[in-house]
Amino acid sequence: MVDALTVAFGRFKALDSVSLAVDSGEVRAVIGPNGAGKTTLLDVISGITKPVSGRVMLGDRIDLTQRSEAEIARAGVRRKFQKPSVFPALTVRENLEIGCGPALPARARPARIASVLGEIGLGPRTEVLAGSLAHGEKQWLEIGMVLAAEPALLLLDEPVAGLSDSETAHTAALIRALRRPDRAILVIEHDMGFVEAIADRVTVLHEGRTLYEGSMAGARGDARVIEVFLGR
Amino acid sequence: MSGAVQTALASPAGPARRAVRDPLVAGLVGLCLAAAAVLLVASPAPYLVNALGQLAAFAILAVSLDLVWGYLGILSLGHGLFFAIGGYVCAMHLLAHGVATTGVLPDFVQFMGWKSLPAYWVGLDHAAYALVLALALAGLVAFVFGLASFRSRVNGVYFSIISQALVYVAMLLMYRNDTGLGGNNGMTGFPLLFGWPMGSPGVVTGLTVAALLTLAAVLAGTRLLIGSAAGRRMLACRDDETRLRTLGYSTTRLKLGIWCLSAMIAALAGILYVPQVGIINPRVLAPDLSIEIAVWVAIGGLGRLGGAVIGAILVNGLKFWLSAAMPEAWPFILSGLVLFVVLVLPNGLLDLVALRPRSTWLRGAR
Amino acid sequence: MADPKRSLLRAVLALCGLGLWAVPTLAAAFDRAAFAQDLCGDGAAQVRGAEGLVKAGGVLPADDLAYAGRLLGALAERRLTCPADGALLLDRPGAPEGHDALTGAVRPAAEARVPVLGLRQRAAVETARGVVALLTGPDPATRGAGLSVVERRVATVPAAVLDRARDAETDAGLKATIASLAQAAALSSPDLARRRAAIAAVAASPSGAAEARLTALRSDPAYTADPAFRAALDAGLSRVTRAVAIGDGLAVVYNGLSFASILFMAAAGLAIIFGLMGVINLAQGEFIMLGAYATYGVQEAFRRLAPGLLDLYLVAAIPVAFLAVALVGIVVEALILRHLYRRPLMSLLATWAVSLFLVNLVRVTIGTQNLQFIMPAYVSGGVPLYADFVVTWNRLFAIGFAAATVVLTLLILRRTPLGLDIRAVTQNRDMAACLGLPTRRVDRLAFGLGSGLAGLAGVALCPIYSVNPGMGSGFIVDSFMVVVLGGVGSLLGTLVAALGVGGANVLIEPISGAVAAKVIVLVGIILFLQRRPEGLFAVRRRR
Repeated sequence: MVDALTVAFGRFKALDSVSLAVDSGEVRAVIGPNGAGKTTLLDVISGITKPVSGRVMLGDRIDLTQRSEAEIARAGVRRKFQKPSVFPALTVRENLEIGCGPALPARARPARIASVLGEIGLGPRTEVLAGSLAHGEKQWLEIGMVLAAEPALLLLDEPVAGLSDSETAHTAALIRALRRPDRAILVIEHDMGFVEAIADRVTVLHEGRTLYEGSMAGARGDARVIEVFLGR
Repeated sequence: MSGAVQTALASPAGPARRAVRDPLVAGLVGLCLAAAAVLLVASPAPYLVNALGQLAAFAILAVSLDLVWGYLGILSLGHGLFFAIGGYVCAMHLLAHGVATTGVLPDFVQFMGWKSLPAYWVGLDHAAYALVLALALAGLVAFVFGLASFRSRVNGVYFSIISQALVYVAMLLMYRNDTGLGGNNGMTGFPLLFGWPMGSPGVVTGLTVAALLTLAAVLAGTRLLIGSAAGRRMLACRDDETRLRTLGYSTTRLKLGIWCLSAMIAALAGILYVPQVGIINPRVLAPDLSIEIAVWVAIGGLGRLGGAVIGAILVNGLKFWLSAAMPEAWPFILSGLVLFVVLVLPNGLLDLVALRPRSTWLRGAR
Repeated sequence: MADPKRSLLRAVLALCGLGLWAVPTLAAAFDRAAFAQDLCGDGAAQVRGAEGLVKAGGVLPADDLAYAGRLLGALAERRLTCPADGALLLDRPGAPEGHDALTGAVRPAAEARVPVLGLRQRAAVETARGVVALLTGPDPATRGAGLSVVERRVATVPAAVLDRARDAETDAGLKATIASLAQAAALSSPDLARRRAAIAAVAASPSGAAEARLTALRSDPAYTADPAFRAALDAGLSRVTRAVAIGDGLAVVYNGLSFASILFMAAAGLAIIFGLMGVINLAQGEFIMLGAYATYGVQEAFRRLAPGLLDLYLVAAIPVAFLAVALVGIVVEALILRHLYRRPLMSLLATWAVSLFLVNLVRVTIGTQNLQFIMPAYVSGGVPLYADFVVTWNRLFAIGFAAATVVLTLLILRRTPLGLDIRAVTQNRDMAACLGLPTRRVDRLAFGLGSGLAGLAGVALCPIYSVNPGMGSGFIVDSFMVVVLGGVGSLLGTLVAALGVGGANVLIEPISGAVAAKVIVLVGIILFLQRRPEGLFAVRRRR
């Protein structure tokens, strides 16, 4: 659903005619070395950066490049940032309440919050200020915040960066559990093992262009991908 | 932004629960009400009563700034503008009221050689209309400036210095004599307040009681706002605006609403201040004065309504006392105080008395 | 005592001048006694005497003029007394005796009346004294003073006086001034041919004054009556108008450029520091003030130690002001700002406290008065270039200074290791730190550089603006606008924005006033930010 996207910062092209389609029910991983344009891609989808050209279609009617961040979010797109972005001055519960989004009526919130708390496993920490959570807990809280709105498209930017092995495994299980027929999940990640564990398909970006698209196993066998990751 | 997130990562574990009830604010509200009640039965020296009333007006002004700075991370270095709007409209009302009652034109109107008050003063002798006009005008100016700034995502230090440019330009404008608002001499010589002679003990007490009651109401009202869902969204917006936007909230609308509310509270402070001092002139629009408001808040304790009140009262009390006792030394004391608080007590004087939990989460506000 | 030959000459000249003078008879022969009598008479007589002298001034012999000058001077200074016969000149007001005006003999003044000058008479007498001074003054200063009196009332002075003064003048500057004044006078001559020639001559050296002079002639009856005169005037006027417009345009550009130069120097340091550390230094205006005070210190040191080289103090102040203010900046950074990089809004308050401290420190230790600067030849005066456009040296000094600063700063940023570090940290602080750059040291040096630039602005300001402890606040808001408009971390943006803001201020000011100019510039910048929130030139940074 991303179509011929180009993003330039000055003369530098962060994305150069990138196209990719993510289907509902799919977990897609985008991998690539540093500077490949992965985060820029998410920035464009979530409306933080405006592209020079190209479209990002959600369904077949909504062009996200024409919308503000808030409108994109209300259309059902949620993004988890690379650095855990929770609201430190609010409690876990209050963070999740805000995560429910402006559209959900107040009556429906407690039930939604309770179910998300169960999914991310922060039940005992509900009244703790988010600023005092451990790093892994913040990652999960942020995933919970983006889940609370029941998004149709979930964007995860390096959800296991800086996590321990057991936390990574926990997160992988969490993401697999999030897969639903009416939801597409786009994950950006460095950790190949993690990607293999969660992704249905992978897209490899390199220097702003699509290098490979297909299964993880195929990617491991692709000569260009190997060269980009290991060659230099 | 990235800096904010990093410090959040590095910060130590905080208290389990942010206090929903704020004993400091409750205490201050009670104190205001008690002081007002005492004034109604006892009658201390009028100059003390007057000083108390002025301090209350400054405290309201400080609360208005703390609302946007401490809770929304928007530091305005031009809040004197809204204070002045309230003050000027109030002065216009007092003069128009005087003309309607005594028939004598104010000095500056005679000085400009005009035969009557300018046309846009029509109706200002009605207090209710003047009040509505002052609040509406402050709200409107705040709305236009806020919309232009927030829509184009001007924030942080950028917003601060543009707001200072705004108040500076307003000052230059008001220094002109042809505005019909007194030029560089401003407006003074108010004869009456609601028909009573200005400066009589009853009027002085009445004004101070009104200021105290307004402060109590503003404190209670802002406290309610902070405790509500909107208040939580304000904190969220302060700490990570992009995050809040990508969760589907229109932060522009949120910021604009609180910004306008803050401007109107500042105008209210101006309305209460001018009859107490009996004069308004363009010097209230001096950029330094607007920075001083931020200094009160920072010294008292940013992001705590009670801190703003205490800072305003403390700094202005010191100023009343010291600028008479040793005027040469006051600027040095003030600058020293600012540097001390900023460097040593990041959360203001409330740190000293441990009225605040060990650590707070004031990322974006600084 | 009347020399017959001279009387004859006078009579001939008087006949020649008949058409020019309304009261030619007076000039026929200067009657010294009658003149004294006039000055001793009532107000009307005094005016008659004084005006008569002015009208005859073009032909009167020098000794008559000197005589009249003595009497007029005495009258104006209340040293003239009038006994029943003739007039006495006293040495000082109220002296018991004086010299007879005609014979010079000493006579007692006891019974004499002292004539008083009314306001109207005073004007006439002053004009007459001016004419005498212009024609007989011993040195250019005296004649120049006389000329400026005559200039104010040129309508009452006949052309012959000016022509005579011009022909006799030896000082070149004064001669030119008299010539232009004579030209102006010729414009109102009754002789149409002469007037047309004068119009052409005026049009040849265009100026605002010339334009006003020619425009005034349109209401002259000759303009409607005489087609040749009208054609000459219209042609001359259009020529002058065009030239004056071009000259004024050049002057606006020049003034805008000099204002922009000062703005740039004030804002460049601000922009570098803001780009690097996200800190706006509210004390930047006070750093400029310190630069100006350092310049003053250098001037005083030269006065004490090397008075012969005093004129060079401005040049010597350049490195001194830069280093002194850079040092202050480094100290402020090390003591205060270093602790506030994660709290940019608090750093605003801290730098404000620094500015408050500096202003009051200077106020208490040095005083609030404006400092007196000696203006060396290279920053005083100027060259009139075209029409009313004068290239003044002090502004050229500021422009040249700013240009040199642009080049030097660009060189520092582009060609030195420090510049490379500053650019690296500005663009990506975390990455720079990872690569092992000492970001804290870079911050400190950059803060010193930015502060030093403010000190240089202080030097450039000295010849143009008044220097006092509060001067800094006048620049800070304009510098904000430049930084906001120019964008973060781009010296080029700062330069373009300074030119824009300075130019806009100077362009709008004559049309709608200084306040309106500031309002329009601010509104313009806010509107501009709607389209480009990051300013003109911005360095992109990652979230």
